[in-house]
Amino acid sequence: MKIVVCIKQVPESNNVKFDPVTHNLMRGGMSGRINPFDKNAIEAALRLRDAVGGEVALLSMGPDSTAEILRDGLAMGADSAYLLSSRAFAGADTLSTGYVLAQAVRQIGNVDLTLLGRQAVDADTGQVGPIMAVNLNQPQATYATQLTANGNQLTVVRDLDSLTQTVELPLPAVITVRAEANTPRYETPLHIQQSFEKQVTIWRDTDLDLDPEKLGQKGSPTVVRKVYAPEAKTRAQTALPSEPAAAVDQLLVIMQQHGLI
Amino acid sequence: MAKQWTPQEQMLLRMTSEFTANEIAPLDLQIDHAGRYPDGLFEQVVATGFLSVMLPHEFGGAGFGPEVTAEVVRRVAEGNASMAATLEGHYKTVYQMLKYGTPALQAKYFPTAGQRIFGFGMTEPTGGSNPMSIRTTAVRQGSDWVLNGNKIMITNGGLAEVYCVLAKTGPQELSVFVVDQDMPGFAFGKRENFIGLRGTPVGEIFMNDVRVSDDYLLGKVGQGGEIGDSAHDDARILMGAVLTGIMDHALGLATSYAKERKAGSTPIGELGSIQRKLADIAMGRETTRLLYQNAAALHAAGQPYSEEATMAKAYGSRTAVAACDDALQVFGGYGYSRDYPLAHLIADARALEIAEGTVEKMRAAIAAAELAK
Repeated sequence: MKIVVCIKQVPESNNVKFDPVTHNLMRGGMSGRINPFDKNAIEAALRLRDAVGGEVALLSMGPDSTAEILRDGLAMGADSAYLLSSRAFAGADTLSTGYVLAQAVRQIGNVDLTLLGRQAVDADTGQVGPIMAVNLNQPQATYATQLTANGNQLTVVRDLDSLTQTVELPLPAVITVRAEANTPRYETPLHIQQSFEKQVTIWRDTDLDLDPEKLGQKGSPTVVRKVYAPEAKTRAQTALPSEPAAAVDQLLVIMQQHGLI
Repeated sequence: MAKQWTPQEQMLLRMTSEFTANEIAPLDLQIDHAGRYPDGLFEQVVATGFLSVMLPHEFGGAGFGPEVTAEVVRRVAEGNASMAATLEGHYKTVYQMLKYGTPALQAKYFPTAGQRIFGFGMTEPTGGSNPMSIRTTAVRQGSDWVLNGNKIMITNGGLAEVYCVLAKTGPQELSVFVVDQDMPGFAFGKRENFIGLRGTPVGEIFMNDVRVSDDYLLGKVGQGGEIGDSAHDDARILMGAVLTGIMDHALGLATSYAKERKAGSTPIGELGSIQRKLADIAMGRETTRLLYQNAAALHAAGQPYSEEATMAKAYGSRTAVAACDDALQVFGGYGYSRDYPLAHLIADARALEIAEGTVEKMRAAIAAAELAK
């Protein structure tokens, strides 16, 4: 099975800054790490590969320094890595990013499965996976916690918080993976050494079959009007006594007052 | 000047720190109290590849050098010194098999050296510091050697599956042989009940007519004393790293506590008496670090490092005992409680004033080296 895992570089710290004009995240000079959910996607890919054979390729879009996180993924045991790096991609929103990543998956060729983390922890949209599926014209499943390959079928358990759904998809498909799916492995000393012997293939915009109208800010209809921290709302609270019998008595009174019993 | 780590080394060290912080450090007190590693922890250390850090590429290892190997030990020790000592015992043994082993011996054992622990047995009930007083013998029978005797206080004894053992091949002749737990006549004895490094198994092995061919001889007949000294040298660098990690741990605890604990309205970290202790711990940590890193750098450069390695352990062990004692004092009554790590840190450091040569013997070796100059 040929699996591509899309990974994103996110800021090391939660203390991020936004551009006062574009309201986009300012990434310059910030140390980066693999988006934590993407490590779950890599782990899911490695387990599928170990179970049914095949290869795992990593794919990311960003400045050349993004090669560092691809190296981290290779040190977990992935087989190859592709970096999409071009000024033409700068300022891309999820629509443009999903389009470019999908075109790269086409170019890699014969990809059976594309995996992503459920969302990136910096922007929290969770949109790129579904956008890729539309661009690739492939079935998709989001919020996966279990993936089982049966020949050309994939059985996916989706955790939608209030319900769990099991779906079967024909391959090729696009899946986004939740943190609950697995515990990502550590890089091993041997894989760390080997990761520096593997080449990260860098593709510029001219290396891919792309519509220039769909790239960068030009291809990004999203406009960030304002970025703000939501106001913390507190509701009326009543503290019950710590002694259980007294707590039950008081709770019954409160429930009666509200007409609940 | 400290070594500049390569990107590969940086990644390894970052992974080691993350692994230690997430998987080992939270179990530090549990390991001390239970006197063993919790189920699964050692297996996870093996699965993550820590046993093969310094094993050459051709044997499936990662092939990292002596300096980064020592730094890995230091970082693990910051979370739990027992696990760092377990790695030390394995690394020092593999180093001797690398240095003195024949290609046949290496081909037999190194493919599994990343999955199972190797140990080195020198000490016996009749003595440790004077190798000629040992009673284990290896006697020629035809083309084989027959080993009889027992070894005590082996780091990882019982956990390790392969052992290098020092044996007498003549009245004044020492040689080293490799034996493993699957050989007929090999048996494990008791495990020591030590006051510190309580996670590290330290145990005993018996050899009753263990028969091996010449392929299991490490180095040449009569080279045992040299190999034993070499094992001590490599162990002492790594023990300098363990001691530095213990002091990292103690300093981290003491500085955090000094910032949050108040005497009246003043954090105790603002008191001169506490600051002096913190400064002493920091200076002890830095000097020990410089000593073991210098010895490791000499090892990496192919230069003699015996005296420098000895200094790292001789100086670092007493310094770490004093540093952990200072850290305990910063914690006051809580420091004296076994619910905090300071008590076991002192006992952990104390082990290294004895293991791999007592500090008394090491001072004699350092003095002898200086007198010979």
